[in-house]
Formats: sequence, C-alpha cells, structure tokens
Amino acid sequence: MKVPFIAAAALAALLAVVASTASAKPTASKRAAATKITVWLQVDAQSGWPNLVAAANQQFQAKHPGATVDVQYQTWGDHLSKFDATLAGGNTPDVIEMGNTEMTKYMAAGAFTNLTPQKGSFANSKNWLKGLAASGVYNGKVYGVPYYAGSRVVTYRSDLYRKAHSKVPSTLAAFTATAKRLKKQNTKRGFSPVYIAGTDWYFAMSFVYDYGGQIAKRVNGKWVGRLETPKARAGLAAYKRFFTAASRASKTGTENRPQPYDVYARGQAASIVGPAWFTCCVGKKYTKTTKQFVMPGHVKGQSMPGFLGGSDLAVPKGSSDKALATDWIRIFTSTASQRGLQAKGNIPNATNLLGNSVNERAAKRSWFVPTAKNWVNVENGNVLRTMLARILTGKASIAAATEFADSNIELTLNQ
Amino acid sequence: MSVRRRRTRFVWDAIGLALFVVISFPVYWMIASAFKQEDELNGLTPTWIPLHPTLSHFRDAMNRPFFWDGVKNSLIIVSVTVALSMVLAFLAAIALAKFRFTGRSLFIVLIIGIQMLPQAGLIIPLYVVLARYHQVNALSGVIVTYMTFVLPFSVWVLRGFLLGIPKELEEAAMVDGSSRFGSFTRILLPLVAPGLVATSVFAFITTWNEYIFARVLLNDQSKQTATVWLSYFTGTSRNTDWGGLMAGSTLIAIPVIVFFLIVQRKIAFGLTSGAVRG
Amino acid sequence: MTTSEIPGGTALAAEATLRPRRRRPFTFARVLRAAAPYLLILPVVVVIAAILGYPLYHLARLSFQKYGLFELIARHGTDVGWANYSSVLHDHVFWQVLVRTIVFTVANVALTMGVGTLIALLLTKVSSVVRVLLTAGLVLAWSMPPVVAVQVWLWMTNTENGLLNYTLTKLHVGDYFQHDWYATSFSQLSLTTSLIVWGAIPFIVVTVYAGLSQVPHELVEAAEIDGARAWRVFKDVTVPIIKPIFLVLTSLSIIWDFGVFTQPFLLIDQTRINTSNELMGIYLYEEGYVKTDFGRGAAISILMLLIVAVLSVFYVRKMVRTSDEAT
Repeated sequence: MKVPFIAAAALAALLAVVASTASAKPTASKRAAATKITVWLQVDAQSGWPNLVAAANQQFQAKHPGATVDVQYQTWGDHLSKFDATLAGGNTPDVIEMGNTEMTKYMAAGAFTNLTPQKGSFANSKNWLKGLAASGVYNGKVYGVPYYAGSRVVTYRSDLYRKAHSKVPSTLAAFTATAKRLKKQNTKRGFSPVYIAGTDWYFAMSFVYDYGGQIAKRVNGKWVGRLETPKARAGLAAYKRFFTAASRASKTGTENRPQPYDVYARGQAASIVGPAWFTCCVGKKYTKTTKQFVMPGHVKGQSMPGFLGGSDLAVPKGSSDKALATDWIRIFTSTASQRGLQAKGNIPNATNLLGNSVNERAAKRSWFVPTAKNWVNVENGNVLRTMLARILTGKASIAAATEFADSNIELTLNQ
Repeated sequence: MSVRRRRTRFVWDAIGLALFVVISFPVYWMIASAFKQEDELNGLTPTWIPLHPTLSHFRDAMNRPFFWDGVKNSLIIVSVTVALSMVLAFLAAIALAKFRFTGRSLFIVLIIGIQMLPQAGLIIPLYVVLARYHQVNALSGVIVTYMTFVLPFSVWVLRGFLLGIPKELEEAAMVDGSSRFGSFTRILLPLVAPGLVATSVFAFITTWNEYIFARVLLNDQSKQTATVWLSYFTGTSRNTDWGGLMAGSTLIAIPVIVFFLIVQRKIAFGLTSGAVRG
Repeated sequence: MTTSEIPGGTALAAEATLRPRRRRPFTFARVLRAAAPYLLILPVVVVIAAILGYPLYHLARLSFQKYGLFELIARHGTDVGWANYSSVLHDHVFWQVLVRTIVFTVANVALTMGVGTLIALLLTKVSSVVRVLLTAGLVLAWSMPPVVAVQVWLWMTNTENGLLNYTLTKLHVGDYFQHDWYATSFSQLSLTTSLIVWGAIPFIVVTVYAGLSQVPHELVEAAEIDGARAWRVFKDVTVPIIKPIFLVLTSLSIIWDFGVFTQPFLLIDQTRINTSNELMGIYLYEEGYVKTDFGRGAAISILMLLIVAVLSVFYVRKMVRTSDEAT
C-alpha cells in the first residue's frame, strides 16, 4: 500500500520539521519580568553608526547585570506593518524608532507609554528641538523622545557658481537672479540651475511658511485648511516663480524619481535641494567642487524654513519592562551619544548641542506638518502633490487649486 | 532533412533567438549593472556593456551582514516547502482526478477559493494564529504558511496534468494485472513528471521570491530569508546602493537556476512515445 | 462509484461473479478503496485548515466591524453590521477601479496566455540548442524577484537617461528626449502590463510545453501522414490533451492578475498613485492598510473574492465538467 504510506510519511515529516525548527524561546504574550528587551531601530543605524548602538548596549548591560538587549534593524518601507502585526499579536518590541511624521497616528491610538513623568531624566530634555519634540507630544503628554533630525540644504557646484560670478545668495531674489545667470551660461538641453521636482511639497511648503502661511490649523477642535489664505497663496506664487526660473525638471515629477543627486552627478544640475547627506552621491567628477548653503528666505537675513525630518524613540504600551526600556532610551540619547550622531552628519536633538554645520544652521528655522492623527492620509493621498502639479502646469489657478486642496485636507483630517 | 524542412527550421530558430534576446534582456541588464562602476550606472547615456567591469559590488553584497544566513534560511524554507507540497498536492490531485466522492465539489471550492483571496488581508490574522502556536520568528512557521499558499494551485495544476493522461495508458496497466498503486508509481508518475516539475519550479520560484510574509513573521535578522536581506538595500532613508542591489539580486537568483537545471531534463518532449502501441 | 470507474474494478467485479456466495461488503480492501480519496486529500485539508481556518473566520468577522489602529491595539472591534460593505459599494471610486481592473485583467491574461502558448508551440519546433537557450532565458526572467524587475524597468524607462528614450530618439522614431513614461495613467498601466506579462509568460510556457509533451508523438505523425495541416493537427490532436491545463492556467491567470499588487505599486510608486490609476489590489492596500481601516480592508477583500469568483466561474465550471467527462 504505497500511497497511504507516502501520505503518512509526509505528515510525519511535516510534524518533525515543526518540532525541530520551532523557536526555542517562547514568544508568549505575557513575558514575566523579562531580562531581555527588544529594540527596533532603522537600518540607518546599522550602516551609519553601529558603534553608538554597541556603546549604548554595553553601558546598559553594565548598569543592569543580567539584562540583555536584542536590537533588530527594520526598513522604512514596512516597519509599520510589522509593528501593526506585533500589536495584534501582543508581542511588541520594548523600544521602537518611529519617523516623526509617523508618531501622531500611533499616539492617538494609544500605542505608546506615557513618558511625561520621566521627561526630566532624559539628557538635554529642556532644550529639545521644538520641531522634533512636538512630534512626540499628544494631548500634552510626552510619548516620544527625540532621537535625531535632518534638515534641507542647497547642494551646489561651486565651479559653475564662480563662473556665473555668484556668491552664496542671501535672499530668494538673489538666488533667482543667480539661477537666471546660470541658465544663460549652461545651455545644454534639460540643464537645471536649481533642480527641483515639481511636486516636491517638502520644498514648496517651505515657501508657504516663509511667507507666514501654514498648511492647516486646529480651530475649536476641528482642522481648518489654511492654504487659501493670502499669505499661503503668496508663498505658492513665489514658489511658482522660482520653479519657472530655475528648474527644468518635470512639473509633475516627484523628488525621488529621479533622485536629485543622480541628476546632479550627470552634470544636469548646478544645484539641488535636499537632505545634507546628498553630498555622498554627487559622483566622482564633482565631489571636489560641491559645497552647500542654507536656502535663503525672501526676507534678507532669514533662511527659508526647512522641513525638519527626524526620528523619535518610543516605548510601546505592551512592553513588559517599561523601566528598562526607558533606561535604554536614556542611555542611547545621552549627550555623548548625540555628539556621536552629530559627528556622522546628523542634527542632534537639543538646541544647546547644535553646531555650525550647514545642516544645523538650516534647522534654526524649520516647519513641521500638522500634528493630526490622519495627516499621513493626506500625504498618502498626494493632496499637496496634485495641487502643486495643477498650479505649475497652469491647469488651475492658485486660488482654485488651494481651495480644492483645503477641502480635501479638511475632509481627511477631520474624519 | 529536406531543404524545405531545414528552411522552416531556420525560420523558427531565428524567431526563437529573437525572443530569447527580448525576454532575457532585462536579466542581462541586471547582471551587467552588477559589474558596472558607479559613474556608468548613473551616466547620462546608457552603456550596453560595462566598460570597466568591477567585482566590488559583489564583494560589498556578500560582506553585508546576514547574507549567508539569508541564503541558508531561504534554501531550508523553500526546499522543505516544495518537497512537502509536491507530495501532498500530488496525492490530493490524484483524489480529484481519479475518484468521485462526496465532498469533492467542496474540496474544489476550497482549493480555488483560497487562491482568490487577496493575501494582504490575511497577514495580521495569520500572525496572530502563528504567535499562539509559538511559530513566529521560526522557520517552520514560514514553511507551513508557504505551504498553505502553494498547495492550492499545485493541486489544481497537477489535477490538470493527470486528466490529460490518455485513458489507454491507465487501462493498459490494469489489464497487466498490476495493483492500482503499483500502476500509479510505474505508469502515472513518469507521465505526470513534466507537470510535477513545472509545478515544483513555480513553487520554488514563488516561495523563493516571497517577501511580505517572511518579513512579518521573522524578526531575528539571522533567521531572515534572502529576499528580506535584499530589501535592506532599498529600505534605508539614505541613498540606495544600486550596484550592490543588482549584485545581490544576481547572487540570489543562482540557486533558482541551479534547481531548474537539475529538474529540467524531466520536461522532455515525447516522453510518451512508444508507450501507446497500435 | 461504478465498478468500471474504479481502476481494477472490472477485475473485482469478475472476482465477485466467480464467487457469488462470499458476500462480505466490508472487506478491508473495499473499505480502503472507499476511504482512499479522503485519505489522499486529508493532509492538504489539515494544513490549510490549521493555518487559514482562523484567519479566514477572522477576516469575515472583521468585515462587519469598525477596526482601526485604536481597535487593533485594544484588540477589540465594534460591530457595525453592513456599514463597511455599504461604504465601499457606495464609493464611486470602487466602481471605477473595478472596471479598470477588469479591463486590465482581460488584457494581461489574453497577452500572457496567447503569447505563452505560442512560445510553447515554438519550443516544439526549434532545434535543441535554441530550445535550451530560450528555456534558459525564460527561467531567468521567471526567477527575477519583482522588486528587482521593477527597478530594471524603471531604469529602462527613466526619463533622463533611460534606455527606452535613448534608443527611440537614436532610431529617430520621434523626439523622446526626457519623455516621462509615467505621466499618464494609460502609460503607467501599459508599462505595468508589460512587466507582468513578461514575468508571467515563463510559467505558462513551461507548463504548456510540459502538457504538449504528453501528446503522443504517434498521433501527431499519423495525422500529418494523413495529410492534415498544422492547424488541424493542433485542433484535433493537441488541444483535447492540453485543454485541462489550458483552462487551469487561464483561471489562475485571471485570479492572479485581478488581485495583482506588487508590480503596479512599486512601478507607479505611492507618490503617483491616485484614483485614476488604482487597480483593485492597490485600492485594497490604500483603503485598508495605508488608512489603517482593517474592517474596510476586510470588506474589500471579501468583495474581491466574490468578484473574482464570478469572473472565473466560466472557466472553473468548464474545468470541473471536463473532469466529470474524464472520470
């Protein structure tokens, strides 16, 4: 009787496999007095500053003998879906790194432990960067500890600027004039004096904030879109003028395809706007002549507010040892650790630690997205991108486009 | 061979070669890019052949943490999944193709219905179930998950192959007086071998390239599969190492090719020639 | 089960007539034969039930609940009856996406099955060297992970230095300098189709070719000697044998192409996805997971299941009927 035998053998093999390769450590949902904490950091730490992580782990283990740290590196694309799965399964990590724009939704849903009582014990907490600290606060309570930040600067070809007799511009008007001169001197088809993707809303909204406007405001418990206000519209008009003068990029294009530094490395741009680490990838030919400056605002002496990106560290509510988890964060965000991050080109989390690099100077004036729990839906729905595309292509007037965008924003944020 | 036959053969061959070039071009582009220097990868004009080929991307990829772990885990997970699934699916396909039994339609509905479910909806509930059995962060948990997705279509495709076998061959075996199960192994199995091979290759490739469940179910980087390892190239918030990604992808494709080379001889034309007499 | 349908049944019947007095209906062999099909499908049923049983029940229940991030963390949803289904069915975007996805599926399946079958037939006609080469090329294409294939496609269609723009301009087909291939929905979905069809053809070719190998050479030669033309041979000899496989592949292709997610999502990218280029798989992802509305996502999943079932019922019925004829 061969067939039933085969079937039985297959079943036995299956059970054997299950038994032998099952995880030795039980992942029970209630871990009693765990001496191991699980930390989720993004892969940027693994490739960028693994020594800082190792140092923090060593200090932690010295302070708590018997306790171990399991650092698991995540990727930006799916760490949230993994987090959702652990929330449902009841085995969340003890510490998690969250992007500052990702925090609000999870804070509103009650995912994190309230750290307000311990706020004073974190290094430099009195001087936390306003933009970054705000992303970790909800309803007045602190849920996230600022980890590090990044701002946006202009990376430029000093040789081309020299040829155009241009110094570092101090106002938007001067920058526009420089762009026009660069365009006259570099006539290769598709060359951009300042390469900006049309729907790069991080850059475009900087203009709105520079002119005193904002994206949305909370009024009497409801979110109101503020892009239709005169100040915001003035900012968008200034953006359109600057884009037309300086960029040959697609009006409907996005800032990740192509990557601006790729355009720069091909010699198709004299300057690009983006995070400071863009200098890594400008190509062998232009590495020596590449420099950076802070994007100027339209008022002399004031830089344009840059979008402050960054990460926070939080303790999920389901953590089995919140005290240990909080202590790990305390150690990892110590002044020494922050200095280490600063050395790697990041912006540290407190104003008293700020140095004078271009990146840090740009962070002095920054803006952040509305801290609404549904803001990510506005982002993912590409509301601002659609608005910018319509404005730049002329398909809609600024008035009409902003009105439409505001109603979309209000609909989404107030859901 | 007659002149006319040779000429038609030539025409078919020409078309076949043209198709080969078109179909494998993207693969060629991936492999060529793995050897290109950075400035060529991003040059203003695309280059067809790497001008100064370099092995640095391959070295970088292999030196990345957990590369060998990823390959090892993938090999274990995929081999066990494919082996078990083929056996179980073949048995079930025989039941569907050769027997009439109550509940057959229900089983068919189950088999087809499962494939119609969008997998995205099942991720979180599946995670909860596996967590309860302590199968999260375990290779076995991933194996049984993959099996549930491989089994339905394998059963379905193998059933199709079994139905295609001419009845004369089966009945010839019966007349010979051999037992039913003897006839299965000696006559049916070789006939359905090409179908088994095609299905196993599909199962191998699908599970080898599967990403989302492996990502969610495995936490330790030392337990992760090769595809998850590959995702770390594009998962950083900084710039992506394209050369490394292409080199990594090329390396990871190798086991698949090897597997196919091992089993491909079974897909031979004219396996049945000589079996049917008269 | 009649005795003629059980292989060996004729022998059993003969045996019974020779010994009419020994009537023992529950012999071990008899019971085993009756139980055989159930034993054969048991392992598959056990595995599927154990792993997917609860998730399927949970998915169905979720579709009747309000279940967002808050409820996920609290691990408790609130029942809302048909509200999720009602909101989806009243969403005009859902219907737009449905029509678009059906058109997309028809185009993809037709191209995949058509071109795949033709290549499989071609494989029978070429010399062995070319056959090995072409099969190798197909397997290489097949084995590329979708993430990598998408990246290669993006490079080839890159606005600035992509191969496609470069070649088309060089061949003077037109001015494709910095042509943005991702500007219109039609262009985006056509590129997605090319990617999906390219990735799906190998399986079809290998499987149909395997099926063709079951066609007895003698029958083909006999028909050709009789003077039948290639098309006649194909229709009368080949088609009946590969028909079950063909139906299987078509139904599977419909199911897969309708719910496809990875390729269009990665190719078009989150930054360019909007209601005019969403496909069903992406619509489910956006409405259910990006907006963290798991209840709604579950409702959309169930609706997708029902729609695909309706779309493929023709093929499934045919397949089941074919097997009824065979047994």
